[in-house]
Amino acid sequence: MKYTQLGEFEELVLLIIGSLGENAYSISIKEEFKQHTKRNPSIGALHSAFNRLEKKGFLESHEGGATNKRGGRSKRFYVITTYGRKALDDSFKLRSTLYHSLPQLGLSSE
Amino acid sequence: MLGWFCHPEHLDIFRGDVYELYQDRRESGSKLGADIRFLFDIVGLCRPYAMKNHKIENSNNIAMFKNYFKITYRNLLRQKVYSFLNLSGLAIGLACSILIFLYVNDELSYDRFHEKADRTYRMLEHFQDEGNGEHSASQPFPTGPTLQAEYPDEVVQAVRLFNFQSPSLALANKAADKAFNESRIFFADSTFLDVFDFELIAGNRETALDNPNSILITTSMARKYFPDEDPMGKFLEIQGRQNLEVVGVLRDSPKNAHFQFDFIVSFSSLKPWFGGNYPRGWYWNPCWTYVVLEENVTKEQVESHFPVFVDKFFPGFIKEHVTLELQPLTDIHLYSNLDYEIEANSNVESIYIFSAISFFVLLIAAINFINLSTARATKRAREVGVRKSLGSSKAQLINQHVFESLFMTFLSMIFALVVVAIFLPAFNVLTEKAVSFFLLLQPQYLVILVAITLIVGLLSGFYPAFVLSSFNTVSVLKGAHLKTSGLNFRKILVTIQFSISICLIIGTIVAINQLQFLMNKDVGFDQDNIVMVPVIRSPMGQHYENFKTQALQSPRITSITAVEEIVGAKHQVGNYQFEGMDESKAYARFNMRHDFAKTFDIPIVAGRAYSYEVQTDDSLALVVNETFVKAMNWGSTEEAIGQRFYFRGELRGRVVGVVKDYNFVSKHRPIAPLVLTLNSRRGAFNLFIKYVAVKINGADIEDSIADIESAWKSVMPNMPFDYFFLDDTLNDSYKAEKKLSNVTIIFSVLTILVACLGLFGLATFSVEQRTKEIGVRKVLGISTSQILVLLSKEFLLLILIAFVVAIPISYLLTQEWLNSFSYRIGIEFWPYIVSGLLTFIVAFLTVAYHSMKASLINPVETLKYE
Repeated sequence: MKYTQLGEFEELVLLIIGSLGENAYSISIKEEFKQHTKRNPSIGALHSAFNRLEKKGFLESHEGGATNKRGGRSKRFYVITTYGRKALDDSFKLRSTLYHSLPQLGLSSE
Repeated sequence: MLGWFCHPEHLDIFRGDVYELYQDRRESGSKLGADIRFLFDIVGLCRPYAMKNHKIENSNNIAMFKNYFKITYRNLLRQKVYSFLNLSGLAIGLACSILIFLYVNDELSYDRFHEKADRTYRMLEHFQDEGNGEHSASQPFPTGPTLQAEYPDEVVQAVRLFNFQSPSLALANKAADKAFNESRIFFADSTFLDVFDFELIAGNRETALDNPNSILITTSMARKYFPDEDPMGKFLEIQGRQNLEVVGVLRDSPKNAHFQFDFIVSFSSLKPWFGGNYPRGWYWNPCWTYVVLEENVTKEQVESHFPVFVDKFFPGFIKEHVTLELQPLTDIHLYSNLDYEIEANSNVESIYIFSAISFFVLLIAAINFINLSTARATKRAREVGVRKSLGSSKAQLINQHVFESLFMTFLSMIFALVVVAIFLPAFNVLTEKAVSFFLLLQPQYLVILVAITLIVGLLSGFYPAFVLSSFNTVSVLKGAHLKTSGLNFRKILVTIQFSISICLIIGTIVAINQLQFLMNKDVGFDQDNIVMVPVIRSPMGQHYENFKTQALQSPRITSITAVEEIVGAKHQVGNYQFEGMDESKAYARFNMRHDFAKTFDIPIVAGRAYSYEVQTDDSLALVVNETFVKAMNWGSTEEAIGQRFYFRGELRGRVVGVVKDYNFVSKHRPIAPLVLTLNSRRGAFNLFIKYVAVKINGADIEDSIADIESAWKSVMPNMPFDYFFLDDTLNDSYKAEKKLSNVTIIFSVLTILVACLGLFGLATFSVEQRTKEIGVRKVLGISTSQILVLLSKEFLLLILIAFVVAIPISYLLTQEWLNSFSYRIGIEFWPYIVSGLLTFIVAFLTVAYHSMKASLINPVETLKYE
């Protein structure tokens, strides 16, 4: 299988899902995303990202937790998979390696 | 709303999400904002993966199409006969429709190339007086300029065309000794090139026609008169009395203009012909007048002024009977059929008929395609079975077969284009057009071609595709004998095909009959062996009697007269006031000289013909036709003799003779009241006498013509001699019908051919299916003729049904068409019988061919594998 890439938006969504733990579903993810990035992603954009990530095997989902506020409809909770965790690690590693190889000079001169 | 597009798997979650968001927003903000964002959310959820019909596509479509293509190609080769029938039938159908499309397109393009075409109008003058009178395409001299002067805000430009109402005028390049009679010559106002966008190759567009004695000539005329020199600044002499300077060269007039010209002379050159100024009268109406309206000014707006305009300018005695009308320039070619058209126009009816024919040819070809494909289905059934068992979905099978039919249609389209390219020149000759094949290669036409291909391909592909894909896998693979489904549908299609063919045959026969009927010589006068010599504005007036005496010395010339218009084609209108009438009325009028009735062999039913002995015949005598007598309620033709009419305000004139009715215009119109008036004034040759008509004995035509010419040369050595035969010209009046019948003959033959191709294919198929049956029957002792009956029964029954269906339809249609003629044939029985028999025989031969073939096969051949 082709090596799957993580897009910037996908990576952020994945990180947020990981950090939210048990309570990761669309609305809470949207709120968290807004809080951290000051961006306000549409619900559609988020769902399409979930769908992609799930297809790539980074996420797992289960339904449940219907509330009155939702008109009695269930939520879909997302949990990060080990494969997803690994992808995040890889991504982080790659980034930090590249970051450390930045020339020091540029930084100290600031 | 979400449920409308959303896949059920996601629906609940999405609903929950948007609802929750909505609630949150309701708490924190306004309802309206929440509502709007609610909608945005929903629209935002329209993602492809969430759609209802979203499926995971992992089959390799391109590979499948490659495979379809390969299978199509193999089938094409394997079943050569079918492929040939399929392709050629469709190609013929397409080629026919393309040809007709080109024709219709050309007809519709008339006069549209002028930039101001949409606001250019021709002025018509209706002169209506109790059913008599004229509907004229031309106007009195002052109309155009006066209208423009009266309503300068609405009428921007006006242009008049004038040609002395003469069939030809003599032009000469004296220096090169080239002299010809030219028919396509017009005097035109200086605005000619402003109103019409004819291309000027040399000369100044702005000033070209500003000066008197200027002439514009076309490139081909430049070659004719000035073969080796630059025509600019050279001189042409008109009618032997006026020199015109060539000030410009025009491109040859486009074919799709309602009038064709070779020469345009500046209008001001006319003044010397009328004693120094234009004719001022509002009665004589020889000028075709075109006006360009201001943008945003409607036709109705200008027409609303016409009653006032007529009242102000037209002479009192015709005022009440004249109405003016604006006719859109672009309508002239297809809709106009008036008196004094510049040229005979086409009519919109033939466009409808042609389009209908092309549609039917295409329909028949498409039906063929459907029939052959479904018939072939059994052959393909095994392939379908294998595909199905290997997991082809029904949709894929349909795709495959539609693809196949599209491919075949494209192939036929290519053949059709080749056929069109080959036959277009012949078609152009037939329809007198100059349509270029390259017209088709323009993007908009290419799009149309592709669209036709797609439509025909899809329509004719769908039904077979559904039939084929619906086969039951197991039974097909087991090789069970397939009772081909859709046999009934196919029968219906064959019936439709033959109904159309029979209708077309009947239509063709009726059209030919009607044409024959119109063209037959029974018009009430003798049109054979009459030589017409144009004499307008020649010095003939002075020499006429001389010429006549001289010519009559030839034993080959039996009689001579002179006439105002071509007998049997045209007439003029004159006002007459008979005793008992309060005012004068307009009647069809015909000026002529002595011996008119004799030359044209028109019987005098009462009274006498004009006579040389009676001096006053010229002014105080009239000869009328029988219809005139009836219209005046004079009782019998004898009582008509001696009826008095006003001459110069006094009741001095008398009717001296009544001639038998003859068709003084084409048979498109009924015979109207007609006044024949003797006009022996010498000046009449300027306007009222345009031709000398010479009756020859017909034994030796060339010598007779030579005799006329020598008589001509003896009186007018410097005028070019020109002549034509009356019957040729009169036959031209039926050009439209002739063209129509030619085209219908060709296309109905093709239609029948295509239909028979289809039948041939179907017969092949059905015989092939029954070879075993025939083998068994043969063994049991069936005779060849019985086989013939067995096999043809089915098809012949279909044709019988088709015949029954076709008769009422074609009866109604031909009746409708014939009603547009005032002289028409009755509906006869035999065209129906003939068409029925013809179709029957052709179909029978087609089927019989196969039956014979089948019956001749040795039964051992067909049965040995059993």
